[in-house]
Amino acid sequence: MEMKRIIVSHDNINNHLDDVSTSISKGKVTTIIGPNGCGKSTLLSVLSRSNIPTSGTASLENRDLVMFKPKEFAKKLAIVYQQNEVPKDLTIEKLVGFGRLPHKTLLQRNQEEDRKAIDWALSVTNLTDKRHNDLEALSGGERQRVWIAMALAQQSEILCLDEPTTYLDIYYQIELLELVKSLNEDYGLTIVMVLHDINQAIRYSDEIIMMKNGRIIAEGRPREVITKDVIKEVYGVNAVFKEDDELGLYMMSLGI
Amino acid sequence: MRKRIASYVIVSLLLVVTIVYSATTGSIKMEFFEFFGALFEQGNSQMEAVRDLRFPRMIVALFAGAALSVSGVLLQSVMRNPLADAGIIGISSGAAFVQLFIISFFPALFFMTPLFAFMGGAFACFLVFALSWKSGLSPLKLILVGIAINAMFTGLTEAFISFGGSLNVSASSVIGSNLTMRTWSDVSTIATYGTIGLVLAFALYSWCNLLVLQDKTAKSIGFHVARARLLIAAVAVLLAAISVVVAGVISFVGLLVPHIARRLVGYDHKVLIPFTALLGALIILLADTLGRTIVAPLEIPASTLMAIIGGPFLIFLLRKE
Repeated sequence: MEMKRIIVSHDNINNHLDDVSTSISKGKVTTIIGPNGCGKSTLLSVLSRSNIPTSGTASLENRDLVMFKPKEFAKKLAIVYQQNEVPKDLTIEKLVGFGRLPHKTLLQRNQEEDRKAIDWALSVTNLTDKRHNDLEALSGGERQRVWIAMALAQQSEILCLDEPTTYLDIYYQIELLELVKSLNEDYGLTIVMVLHDINQAIRYSDEIIMMKNGRIIAEGRPREVITKDVIKEVYGVNAVFKEDDELGLYMMSLGI
Repeated sequence: MRKRIASYVIVSLLLVVTIVYSATTGSIKMEFFEFFGALFEQGNSQMEAVRDLRFPRMIVALFAGAALSVSGVLLQSVMRNPLADAGIIGISSGAAFVQLFIISFFPALFFMTPLFAFMGGAFACFLVFALSWKSGLSPLKLILVGIAINAMFTGLTEAFISFGGSLNVSASSVIGSNLTMRTWSDVSTIATYGTIGLVLAFALYSWCNLLVLQDKTAKSIGFHVARARLLIAAVAVLLAAISVVVAGVISFVGLLVPHIARRLVGYDHKVLIPFTALLGALIILLADTLGRTIVAPLEIPASTLMAIIGGPFLIFLLRKE
């Protein structure tokens, strides 16, 4: 995906994205990080077409995103939002089945293919045993996996996740990031996500986009992007970096 | 699953019982077997009266109940709001006012009243949507806006009637609802448009189901949220408007029936919409039958009975919110 000179302004005074150009590599895990209000979620919303840029173009396979029909685009890209209202009286299987909508037309539906896609989405997210359970009965970590399963049922090549770990306990955070990793490694999905935790971003990303005030400050491989100077500039925090044999690079914040 | 089947069976049975009871009870009473005997023979004078007076009234009640209840289900889905009902939020009174206005000034257009009622209902629906959109369609805000719209159209209708006593309009049939003196031509109107509306409503069940998702999520799976909303709302208005044209304004049915129906058969619109139609038909026929029998020879209109039950029910729902 390519983004060229994107400007997004909700009120025509402040730019929430200010002349942003970047590209998302196919088959990689790209993570957008930065302080609150830096425009990382806005960038994701432009990529996922829920926000149309005020100026500039976002394109996929050399086609402007606005040229795609809704269902056609939903077959290319799926997104999981940070918070979702949980509908009443709906089983996991039914909700995941909603993800098949882009593959249905008024007259044509391939039930065999739908069933396969739903089964796959449920097994990858480890929800097969609970498929007939109601959503309301699930824990936070499980609910997040259900929404991911719905996105997976779309069978898109690109999966976007907006702060997927924010409201989860540490156990479920790791579980979720491992799931994301395996979706990328085992099934070749291109992942674009927004994360808060810098160490998680280092550990689970191929590429990092670091943002501040609606602009991209640095981008590239985690080791190149996340340095002492960049962290000081973007977050205003003094940090040290250590290398661990097993973990690789990790960061400790010292003070402000 | 068993609860669903049981609910369908019980409501269907109750409906049959109520239909037979309603057909045989009233100012002309008939024994059950006498009634069935007379049903298939010509020339029985009692049966002719029942056929001309009671049958149309019953069929209108059945269709009006089904149409208003399904209209409630659709509105609740489209506004993502459990309190939406065509009567409460002013769609019915909007339809009633425009209908009255047109047939008073352009009596020649009488045969097009369903169309004008539809336009009036659609206008009221649009107003409610537009004025409560900013609050994210919050249930309470929407009800408040709706009650205001309802008051406005009801007021306009009443003012219109008091000014235009000379206009020769049977206004009482527009404001309240009274199912007496329905004719077979009323039946053919509500049966035609009502059936169309109910079939369309059922055809839209998968869209209604998808509207439980938040807009952003629904859009992300390629769902045309705005288009779906518009079409579902249009069918809801059609169902409400046609009931107003033939049976007058009956509030609270569209609130009461879907709530009970969801308790019994769940939230899947594929099952919910047909069940709501059955239950709504049952409730209004029952209300109308009781209304004309308990204090005979006087009558309590079905709309009055519904208001007496529905008012407290709305308070109950508001407290639960």
